[in-house]
Amino acid sequence: MNFMEKIYNWIDVRLGLREIINKKRSGYLLPHNINAWYSLGSVLLVIFFLQIVTGLLLMLYYVPDIDKAFSSVSFIMDEIPLGRLVRLFHAAGSSMMLLVLLLHMFSVLFMGSYKSPREFHWLTGFILLLLAMGISLTGYLLPWNQLSFWATTVATDCVSSIPFMGEKLVELLRGGKQVGFHTLGRFYTLHVGILPAFIAILIGVHLFLIQRTGVSTPPFGLDDTRNPWKSDKFVYEEHPGGVPFFPNFFLQDMISISLYFACLMALVFFFPNMFIPSTSYVPANPLVTPSHIKPEWYFLANYQTLKLFPSEIIGITVQGVAMTFLALLPFLDRGTEKHPLKRPLFTFSAVGGILLWIALSVWGAYS
Amino acid sequence: MSRWVTILLQLFACIIMAGQAGAVGQQVIVCIQCHAAQPVARLSQPVKIWRKSIHSDHGITCNACHGGNPLDAATSMSPADGFRGVPAPTAIPALCGGCHMGVVKHYMSSAHGRALGRGGPTCVTCHGSHGVVSASLDIISQKNCTPCHSFDKARMIRSAMLKTDGMLKAIEKRIRVLRSQGIETDSLEKRLFSLRNRFHAMFHSLDVNLIKQESAHIQAELEKTNGVGGAGTGLIVGALAVGWALLAAFLFYQIKKNLD
Repeated sequence: MNFMEKIYNWIDVRLGLREIINKKRSGYLLPHNINAWYSLGSVLLVIFFLQIVTGLLLMLYYVPDIDKAFSSVSFIMDEIPLGRLVRLFHAAGSSMMLLVLLLHMFSVLFMGSYKSPREFHWLTGFILLLLAMGISLTGYLLPWNQLSFWATTVATDCVSSIPFMGEKLVELLRGGKQVGFHTLGRFYTLHVGILPAFIAILIGVHLFLIQRTGVSTPPFGLDDTRNPWKSDKFVYEEHPGGVPFFPNFFLQDMISISLYFACLMALVFFFPNMFIPSTSYVPANPLVTPSHIKPEWYFLANYQTLKLFPSEIIGITVQGVAMTFLALLPFLDRGTEKHPLKRPLFTFSAVGGILLWIALSVWGAYS
Repeated sequence: MSRWVTILLQLFACIIMAGQAGAVGQQVIVCIQCHAAQPVARLSQPVKIWRKSIHSDHGITCNACHGGNPLDAATSMSPADGFRGVPAPTAIPALCGGCHMGVVKHYMSSAHGRALGRGGPTCVTCHGSHGVVSASLDIISQKNCTPCHSFDKARMIRSAMLKTDGMLKAIEKRIRVLRSQGIETDSLEKRLFSLRNRFHAMFHSLDVNLIKQESAHIQAELEKTNGVGGAGTGLIVGALAVGWALLAAFLFYQIKKNLD
């Protein structure tokens, strides 16, 4: 027995590591027809972890004060070794997190994985999407540059369209009538404290739910693609003869994570201005409104929808109805069929919805 | 009759603009508000020209040269509040020199300055008044110089300044690029600002030897800025990082394939 094995044994008799690994190898089996889309959850976990690490590093030098925020970010970018890289990873990671989250949701949508008994999985995932949008919005303001200041002004202004309490909500968000000192303080607290804590808790709940119900079976490569779940009692969805999580699917996770890193690093090194455009290197000036200010890409569809309707109340109501419908989808779609081609109406509507969202975003970007 | 109509229109415009200024509750320069709305071109044109000037870009408003209280329509043209109207030609160098101190010192010692009050040029002769723009070598031209004297000496001065001017422009362009990449350029900009001012001020001495000598010094200083802010984007590091990640994905895929 060599030295490393001795250390491993010493830990194993205390923590039972072998048992965990054996359980994951033989006990935790996944559907035999599982595909790469299922690894997006692991990619998201890695992204969240990376955002925490890069965020903590940025916090070492960032000053949440309107007079110092911009210069502290410039200091991180120009003076701190690898500071530019850390900030770019954090900024690009934020957009990538939302992109991967959306892809994860689309895959769940088309494979019918949200169907019973996984309503809570979908609901927690949907709330996680909203929280991810919230953490991205709050983080966007922190560098206190012209772009972030005015994009935040536009984004928070949309809230004012909510009937009866819109104005009060905007004031609550901004800490006053305008985006200013109090807004920065509030957004900073939300960004580094409250929202990450909520996200971490919900990720925990989401994983707990998956552990309790088991992984859903994809509807591809099977004769019977209907949801096998019966509502009379709790059943863990087992997959006898399936693929062991470790090492088989763990390797699929590693492939997806490596590909994600390749994409992230390609963006950071070759297209750094995609996430931090040159206009964001100008300090915020509340007295000078730049022309063509737009919110971040993930809010463009909402922004354009508000502009489409003659009244903002109608625009906000339409968005509210659409979001509620999406959140409650598993409770509304009670059909048992999971294969996208065997439920053409749903697939047609879902593809149409995604295309509409893309079209509105592009329209918003160029309007 | 038409004169009275004009006066009434002017008064009306002033009242409307003053009212708007008060309603907005911001510090509005009443001279601009009132003059911009004047129907008589002689009175409104200076505002239009000024808006395109470097003074406008830097917030230098009418009162800096004409005096008066720019925040109150009633006292805006009151001599008690320092209103001086159109400055006398002999007072112009001192007025401009209030801000452009280095320039006025060299100007006063030059042939131009010594001829002040005796038909010699003042600042506005070459730079204009309301439409003053950032100084460039284009000012030293046949058109501007030959009405008073031959272009020979001016051409020598221009030639001596040409290389330094080119270097200044190249560095300005480089600063813009660096800024667009998010690289902090504050210290570089300040250094350039100081050197450019020294360069432009020194020209006003009209001393060819001094200009040549100082240009050489300034060029040497400008050369030093070439190494500033040239941080690369790490494309090679990026290519390696992406390559490693793709290689890792490929290796994991091969292991998985063998395992399956």
